[in-house]
Amino acid sequence: MAKILVVDDEEGIRMLYSMELEDEGYEVVTLSDGKDLLKIVKREAPDCIVLDIKMKEYSGLDLLQEIRKKHYDLPVILNSAYSSFKVDLKSVAADYYVVKSSDLAELKDRIKIALETRIPGK
Amino acid sequence: MQVIEDNPQETTQADIVVGIPSYNEADRIAFPTQRADEGLRQFFADRSAVILNCDNNSPDGTREAFLGAPTQTPKIYLSTPDNIRGKGYNIRNLIRKAVDLSAKAVIVLDADLKSITPRWIRNLGEPIFEDSHYVAPLYVRHKYEGPVTNNIAYPLTRALYGRRIRQPIGGEFGFSGEMARKFAETEEWDEAVLNFGIDVWMSTTAMRSGVEMTQSFMGGPRIHEIKDTAAGTAQIFRNVVGTIFQLMRGHETFWREVKWSKPTAIFGFGLGEIEVPPPVKVDADALWNEFDVGVRSQADMYTAILKPECHEKLLEVAGLPREAFEFPTVLWAQVIYDFAWAYKNQVFPHEDLLTGLMPLFYGKTLSFVLETEAMNTHQVEEIIEEQCLQFEKTKPYLLERWFSG
Repeated sequence: MAKILVVDDEEGIRMLYSMELEDEGYEVVTLSDGKDLLKIVKREAPDCIVLDIKMKEYSGLDLLQEIRKKHYDLPVILNSAYSSFKVDLKSVAADYYVVKSSDLAELKDRIKIALETRIPGK
Repeated sequence: MQVIEDNPQETTQADIVVGIPSYNEADRIAFPTQRADEGLRQFFADRSAVILNCDNNSPDGTREAFLGAPTQTPKIYLSTPDNIRGKGYNIRNLIRKAVDLSAKAVIVLDADLKSITPRWIRNLGEPIFEDSHYVAPLYVRHKYEGPVTNNIAYPLTRALYGRRIRQPIGGEFGFSGEMARKFAETEEWDEAVLNFGIDVWMSTTAMRSGVEMTQSFMGGPRIHEIKDTAAGTAQIFRNVVGTIFQLMRGHETFWREVKWSKPTAIFGFGLGEIEVPPPVKVDADALWNEFDVGVRSQADMYTAILKPECHEKLLEVAGLPREAFEFPTVLWAQVIYDFAWAYKNQVFPHEDLLTGLMPLFYGKTLSFVLETEAMNTHQVEEIIEEQCLQFEKTKPYLLERWFSG
């Protein structure tokens, strides 16, 4: 069973994603802010991270760069209510960028793809 | 093959080699040479360096122009003998010399670059000293520039090899000394690579080798000498697509195992203002005519190569009126994959296949232009990313066609 780490400062989003992704058969761990994110990643060893961008104290784009330094191959999906962050080159380091929607079909599709990704030699 | 060398400062070792391949660039080569010199002094003053022109024995005085350009960095001129032409030969000479010089980093620049700043040297070189082995450029480009990159080279190399390199045929790039040795040891120096398929050969070799790769943001637009645009695009198309198809044959064991793709590290974001690229005009009428005429003149080839469902869909698209024209990306991906299969099995002579594919490329380019007419650069990048995802999602079609004969 793949483990998904959802990082979002909105409780409603964390609850919705937990429910929907558990229904898909994933194990879900949630985090409400970026503090200690790297420690949590090391402890929980998620297979994929869904990462909000605009959080109260932390920028998901900056957290993404920190994750990449330690976990180059760990799939990270940026998830934001705003598409405008796509113009920031930092977002290119993410596997996918999904704009938040009440319909999680695209997010689920990208998680599935991210978990299936396979490159020989990596 | 004999190599002509002129090494006035008798350089025998250099941490950094900046290579400038050329043919008949006497009027232009001094500029990138001097910018490279400034960049090396400004950003790598603590490292030994050399600027190296790898030429095809240009008759217009390129050698003299290069060696005569005032620089503090030593220079070396290398050349193929008379009658040997092709960027691949130049790059091979550069690679071999870089290995001889025990270079730790090699930076390659096009000789006709007008927009290079000293900072490009930093952006292409620094990631190599931070453990990257291949550095590809990220430019600000007009949405209609680089149709071969946008509609074929980027989506296809990404789907095949699983690495997202936005500019796989960019003329400026960097690689480590270790990567230079890998390139030097290859047995793949065939005619396509030695002529003008060298850029895509290098980037896809790096993709397959599993080394750390970086995309480095150049900051400014890429401005170079505009040669005849239509003929230039056609030549790039033949070289790039022919080389990619050729390499698919030798590396099917690798790309067969690749599922989806991974992002590549970025260097150089947040470094100052982003300039607006110069506009690029598109002759939509010419694209339409090429597609419209080509679809009829190449009908027999399409019947022979395309799977029935793909062919049927193509005929539907060909029947659309100009004002409602659309060439769906899924169909385009299937066409490319069918032609790759045909190339492998030599259903037609290779040059004829590439000629036959071109009208469809023009059709796809027209569709892209029409779709993105009212969009800004960022919106167009989203379209391109979506195209790439379609190529990746359509890969099972390629696998089935290719491996079932």
